[in-house]
Amino acid sequence: MSVLKLENLSYTYQGAPIKVLDHLNYEFENGKIYCIMGKSGAGKTTLLSLLSGLTTPTDGKIFFKDQDISQINKYNYRSQMVGVIFQGYNLLPHLTAAENVQLSMDISEKIFPDKVRHGFAALAKVELGEEKATRRILKLSGGEQQRVAIARALSYDPEIILADEPTGNLDGETQEGIITIFKKLAHEENKCVIIVTHSPEVAKAADVLYELTPVS
Amino acid sequence: MYILKNSIRNVTRNAGRNILIGMIVLVIAISSCIALSIKQSASQLQTTGLSKIEITGSISVDRQALMSQAQDSGTDMRALMQESESLTLAEMQNYATSVNVKDFYYTLSSSMSKGTGLEPVSTDAVTTAATTQTQPTAPTESEESNKAISPSGMGTQGDFTLTGYSGENAMTSFISGTNQVTSGQLFSFDTADMTCLISEELATFNGLSLGSTIQLTNPNATTEVTTLTVGGIYKTTTATADSGAMRFSTAADPANQIYTGYNTLNAISGQSLSVATLGTDTSGNQTTTALRTQESGIYTFSDMTAYENFKTDVTAMGLPSSYTVTSTDVTNYENSLLPLENLNTFATIFLVLVLLIGGSILVVLNILSMRERKYEIGVLTAIGMKKKHVVFQFIAEGFIVTLIAILLGTGIGAAVSVPTANALLSQQVASIQTQEESQQSNFGRGGSSSGGRPGEQATVNYVQSISSATDITVVMQLIGIGILLTLLSSCGAMVFILRYDPLNILSNRS
Ligand SMILES: Nc1ncnc2c1ncn2[C@@H]1O[C@H](COP(=O)(O)OP(=O)(O)OP(=O)(O)O)[C@@H](O)[C@H]1O
Ligand SMILES: [Mg+2]
Repeated sequence: MSVLKLENLSYTYQGAPIKVLDHLNYEFENGKIYCIMGKSGAGKTTLLSLLSGLTTPTDGKIFFKDQDISQINKYNYRSQMVGVIFQGYNLLPHLTAAENVQLSMDISEKIFPDKVRHGFAALAKVELGEEKATRRILKLSGGEQQRVAIARALSYDPEIILADEPTGNLDGETQEGIITIFKKLAHEENKCVIIVTHSPEVAKAADVLYELTPVS
Repeated sequence: MYILKNSIRNVTRNAGRNILIGMIVLVIAISSCIALSIKQSASQLQTTGLSKIEITGSISVDRQALMSQAQDSGTDMRALMQESESLTLAEMQNYATSVNVKDFYYTLSSSMSKGTGLEPVSTDAVTTAATTQTQPTAPTESEESNKAISPSGMGTQGDFTLTGYSGENAMTSFISGTNQVTSGQLFSFDTADMTCLISEELATFNGLSLGSTIQLTNPNATTEVTTLTVGGIYKTTTATADSGAMRFSTAADPANQIYTGYNTLNAISGQSLSVATLGTDTSGNQTTTALRTQESGIYTFSDMTAYENFKTDVTAMGLPSSYTVTSTDVTNYENSLLPLENLNTFATIFLVLVLLIGGSILVVLNILSMRERKYEIGVLTAIGMKKKHVVFQFIAEGFIVTLIAILLGTGIGAAVSVPTANALLSQQVASIQTQEESQQSNFGRGGSSSGGRPGEQATVNYVQSISSATDITVVMQLIGIGILLTLLSSCGAMVFILRYDPLNILSNRS
């Protein structure tokens, strides 16, 4: 059974003259890695914001486990079901890395035996030690920030991971580490991992590849 | 709860912005604390001040009521005045049976003329007014000037005021210390012993000593002679206090006050009545040569409540509406609060202005800070924080900053409110006094008498200072103001957050 399903999905930004997405019919299942590729401006980020419930389709439907996504509480969906790694990270600069992670865990309202330790563990997975975890965001490098964003999205154990170029700022070795994490999530923990990427290495790890072409 | 934890953390992490908001709230808090403290002490003095003192009151004709009655019915005011004579002693004693009356005493007073061998102490009011001190001078034209008809219908005015007291507690001027017996003793209250107390000035002026006799006559029938024995001599401080004030008549001069027992004066009056000749004046009104006397009763009340209850009692007991219960204590007390009341009004206006201006600044600052915090709102909603929780967090931040500032402001305000209020109060007292003095001199009256009847000392002891001002009520009010300000200034934030589209976060990649 698919965990996410697009049905004739079309999207036009408010006030914009042309469609960004046109009649998409994708399906996403648990236990698989999906890669979405396409030229810049093809609408990849737009698709992820639709999948994460940040906006609603102009036409067509999105189903989350057979439930129309427009019928469910977007905030609960975002805070519990999906983990989004934003292209621009969207971390809070006045908080430390660990606090950013813990905040998402708090918002998910899920119960963790030891929140603080769990948060640090999530950061350790992306190779951020305690010292870096307790630094404010702006005192971390771009790649480190990106990894904080990944740790945050994974910290509250969501069923779906939506990643917008999660390795854009990472060197080959660190990227490998991230790919390993995603593989483990999909293949061992049965999550649905959807990655927007330009990287051929990441694309290689994909079980399913979707190619988005700009609407002309 | 994590939202609250978030708020506290945000307050400390964004010190710059919060200090700015805090400073403004602090200024509002200090100003409001001072204003509220003034208001609080004003209302406290109003309610508690009178409850502490014993109140004396009397029943008199309500001129105001008569005036409006005369206007309404078209009848002559003078006719109405004549109808509603002063209450008789029996009537006054009847009202004294009210349970609210603590004590009742009465006096009888009469204006009497000089007899053989007695000259009143007189002041040349016209030439010495406002500049020279009151000094006993030789009687000049006293016969003529003192024959003036008094406006209250007392008949012909004499040279002396003879007052008869029902008991020691009625002699308020001796109780207060204005007058003091320096030699001899008091007359009898129980019997008509024809003994009196005269002033030192009068004694010296006429060469009188203890045991001397003085002769007084009925101003309406100079052949009616009354002889009194000087039983005691008293010293009065009123004369010096009143120096420079124009005398209304010789009889009103403190030196020309003769005191005796009620029974003595009552006997004199009874005697006069028995020999009086009746007549008719040119306008057809009945006249009598009997000595005019005026009875007045003074009720004392243990507190303000008893005084207020007495007012309703007497109405129930049948006191006509043309009479009213008045108390100079209450009036004086109310007058004494005048500067504080003025200050209270200023404080209210000031408070409203501070809240309006301060509130507006806070609203603007909040809106500006919302623009600055757009990104934060976007992130929080994008990662799934419910908007109502974001709103709650932001309001909580406002509350924390406001509360700290209010507490600090209350502390500072409490420390400075008493000296500030007192400085403002003394200014107010001074301005009221200046105003009064210029009014007095505009009307040709010198001195500081507050425009009462001439010769009657009516200087008001204004409340000059307040002691403790900031109390729990003020603190509660300040916290209320804080809550109100926070909610008001958060309104902008609330609307902003609720209308924020989290999708914007994606186009906001700065
Ligand atoms: N808020 C917006 N309003 C109007 N048009 C938008 C908005 N955001 C994006 N677009 C347009 O929609 C199209 C798709 O944008 P999108 O961000 O989805 O591209 P993308 O595939 O993620 O590109 P990139 O690889 O550069 O990140 C672009 O042409 C862009 O200009
Ligand atoms: Mg993109």
